[in-house]
Amino acid sequence: MIEPWKRQVQQFAIVAGIALAIYLFFTHIDFGYKFHWAVLWEVNPTYKEVFGIWLIRGLLLTIEISLISTIVSLVLGTFFGIARLSDFKPLYWFATGYVEFFRNTPLLVQLFFWYFAFPLGLPETFRAFLYDHNYELIAATGGLSIYTAAFIAEVVRAGIQAIPRGHLEAAASSGLSRIQALRFVILPQAFRIIMPPLGSELLNNMKNSSLAMTIGVADLCWQAQQIESFTFRGFEATTAATVIYLSLSLTISTLMNSINHHLEIGKEKDLSILDRILGFVVKPFWLLMKLLFGGIERTWKRLRPRRRKPLEVEATYMSTGTAWMERLIPILSLTGKGLFLLILCGLVVSVGYGLLGFKWSVVGDNFRALLIWTFPNGLGGEIFYGLGGLSLSIILALIGLTASFVIGLAAGLGRLSKNPLISTPSVLYIELIRGNPLIMVIFWVYFFSPIITGMQMDVFWSATIAFTLFSGAYLAEIVRAGVKAIPPGQMEAATASGLNYFKAMRFVILPQALKMMIPAIVGQFIALFKDTSLAYIIGVFELTTVAQTINNRLMIYPFEIYTTIAVLYFICCYSMSMVARRLERKYTPEARIEIPAMA
Amino acid sequence: MQKRVWRSVLVLAVAFLLVPGICFAGPTYDKVKESGVVNAGLMYNSIPAAYFNDKNEWVGFDVDIASEVIKRIGQSMGKELKMEKIKLNNKTRISFLTSGRIDMSTANMTHKRERDKTIDFSITYFFDGEKILAKKGKYKDHKDFVGKKIASMQGTTSEKNAVNLLKSLGDTDPKVISFQDEPSCFLALQQDKVAGWATDSTILIGYAAKEPGKYELVGDFFSDEPYGIGLPQDDSAWRDAVNFAIQDMWVDGTYMNIYNKWYGPDTPYYFPMTEKIEMWP
Repeated sequence: MIEPWKRQVQQFAIVAGIALAIYLFFTHIDFGYKFHWAVLWEVNPTYKEVFGIWLIRGLLLTIEISLISTIVSLVLGTFFGIARLSDFKPLYWFATGYVEFFRNTPLLVQLFFWYFAFPLGLPETFRAFLYDHNYELIAATGGLSIYTAAFIAEVVRAGIQAIPRGHLEAAASSGLSRIQALRFVILPQAFRIIMPPLGSELLNNMKNSSLAMTIGVADLCWQAQQIESFTFRGFEATTAATVIYLSLSLTISTLMNSINHHLEIGKEKDLSILDRILGFVVKPFWLLMKLLFGGIERTWKRLRPRRRKPLEVEATYMSTGTAWMERLIPILSLTGKGLFLLILCGLVVSVGYGLLGFKWSVVGDNFRALLIWTFPNGLGGEIFYGLGGLSLSIILALIGLTASFVIGLAAGLGRLSKNPLISTPSVLYIELIRGNPLIMVIFWVYFFSPIITGMQMDVFWSATIAFTLFSGAYLAEIVRAGVKAIPPGQMEAATASGLNYFKAMRFVILPQALKMMIPAIVGQFIALFKDTSLAYIIGVFELTTVAQTINNRLMIYPFEIYTTIAVLYFICCYSMSMVARRLERKYTPEARIEIPAMA
Repeated sequence: MQKRVWRSVLVLAVAFLLVPGICFAGPTYDKVKESGVVNAGLMYNSIPAAYFNDKNEWVGFDVDIASEVIKRIGQSMGKELKMEKIKLNNKTRISFLTSGRIDMSTANMTHKRERDKTIDFSITYFFDGEKILAKKGKYKDHKDFVGKKIASMQGTTSEKNAVNLLKSLGDTDPKVISFQDEPSCFLALQQDKVAGWATDSTILIGYAAKEPGKYELVGDFFSDEPYGIGLPQDDSAWRDAVNFAIQDMWVDGTYMNIYNKWYGPDTPYYFPMTEKIEMWP
């Protein structure tokens, strides 16, 4: 066993070595491209602007969007998560519909919908009000919150369901009311289970905020693009934005990891120095929270009849106040349910009314183009004989997943390796990619590959490489979690029976691990399929771009077009998630893979 | 252990250094003459310059100009040239040229000095200027847009020009919102999210023709937009061939035929021709 400090020195040496290699790579090889990093801090002579300030402005907006949408989506997500467990069927259906629909359509399409289509259904005065109050930002933040909330709802639901039923029964039999049981028994436990996956959802939320650029919000990603279009220094601007995104991600994940460490129970607390420092910083907030909620709790206790007093007999316990409350609650809940049903009916009717008003012939005329674009009558220079639309999205996702599986397997096993020479590059790759939004990875491949190879490939292949690199990092984490879930005895037994590392992996560990990974891999495929919509940014003719092109020609039917592609995406994703669920039930009777939050 | 690590780092560094920087940039003229293929970059979302019509065919003014230029270069080479159409958008039209993916970019591209640092341009083949499109009867003059929102497309010259215009009219905080493509700009205007849309007037005319009578161009041109065909940097043989082809088209009237097909009085995009193409005797 190597001492930890020695390991850290080794890792540092390797990181420094790679940095040196990259530095030499760029300074000693002529790419026909001269790097001009000063573009970020000097005053540009043509425009009289310092572009670095633009990036900082973008960063502030990104933080603002992320913070607001985090708060809103936490509230919404908790509500829908609990609603998913409700006995009241209409509420359950509504919550389930919400969660499934928003989880299974691409965020990009949702943002287009909220920004371009949604306001048309609102009354004139309200619409005018929205347009006067920076509707770009409202639509981006709102759309992002609604999207993230659907994911948080699932996390919350799973967290509550993970508490054994016995706890609730035990709480009830020891005389706690339903609310008390929730407050003192269920929620504190659920909170601990929820925290790690919640952290990665919030991280995703920050990364997803980069999509706001597509509806004209000047966030970090948008500003980097702006610098590119003003100076054609795409490489420099993209790198700067990447570094900023990465530090933002690392900050969030360090914070989240630290909170998780503080919350850990059962084990001996193994707090690192960083955790302690963070704990110190967070303490005042913690005290403030306690003060606030403690106050509420005290008043709550004062208002409630005191159960503990031994001598007060049952008869007096049912004092007039409680009896009155007891009678009121059913009435209140019935009115609430009625009201909810009414609103739900209104919603369904208005959606149905809207759908009836659609000009469906528009969809019919263009359906073929949406599915396959001009295939098989493509122009000479086009890949796959002009194939595009939905089928190109599927091909993109399929190639991406297949290729990324190889990378994911290598990087995932590499990260588990004890040799820092193998594990450090794997960790760097995984965390670098996972710390950045996909859109940034697409720009990298797009700006970086011509500098390295001196030629530009078809945008389809640029996009495919970007998706492969991106998805590989996530698959690596799935592989790592899957292999770690296999008991170490298996590896020991395999080694003892004379198999070397590769044979043991090939015949003993991986077959078992893969079986457990399958549901997670299908989940990754769904995510990748949704993400193909982002290839729209560099002009790949997949479903979203085709929809845009058709919409551009017709101009006056955005509702019809966007609804159709949303439904197309939904059908594909939802049917795949049904498969994933069935596989999950089949392959993971007891063990569940949990993907850890970013390290 | 430490020693092994260092040795491996060294090997890794050397391996990095040995990856060759392949470079394909070269005289385009010779390359085209040899292969017989020209990679022409065209927009796909711009009406009537280059777009997909209702049969999903790629048509437009830029498409016709590009194919005519290529045909003529082929004639002077004594060889039939094949035109490969490559899709471009405002994000890719310059980087595709610098990386050699395309040999020419006929893509609504204003000849700007900042752009000329990175790529070269042909002589001006189309004369446009920027205007503001708005809902009919709402605004009379550029001054009326002070304090209002204006849409533009990211990565275009109109973005900067619109900000400067509003600033010069006394707007302290110009609200110019940049979208990723033209349809998004028009949609924003259609839904009153913005008061006006600032870009090259022919693009505006193309979109306004979608719903006749509802929109109008407000005020005068606020900038000149001379369009040039984007060409690879420092490649004068190829640039000459393109320039001569454009001039020959003008002399024998082919240019005006193409022009009238897309911008003539009988089209929805009527835009009178007031200038002349630069001629070299």
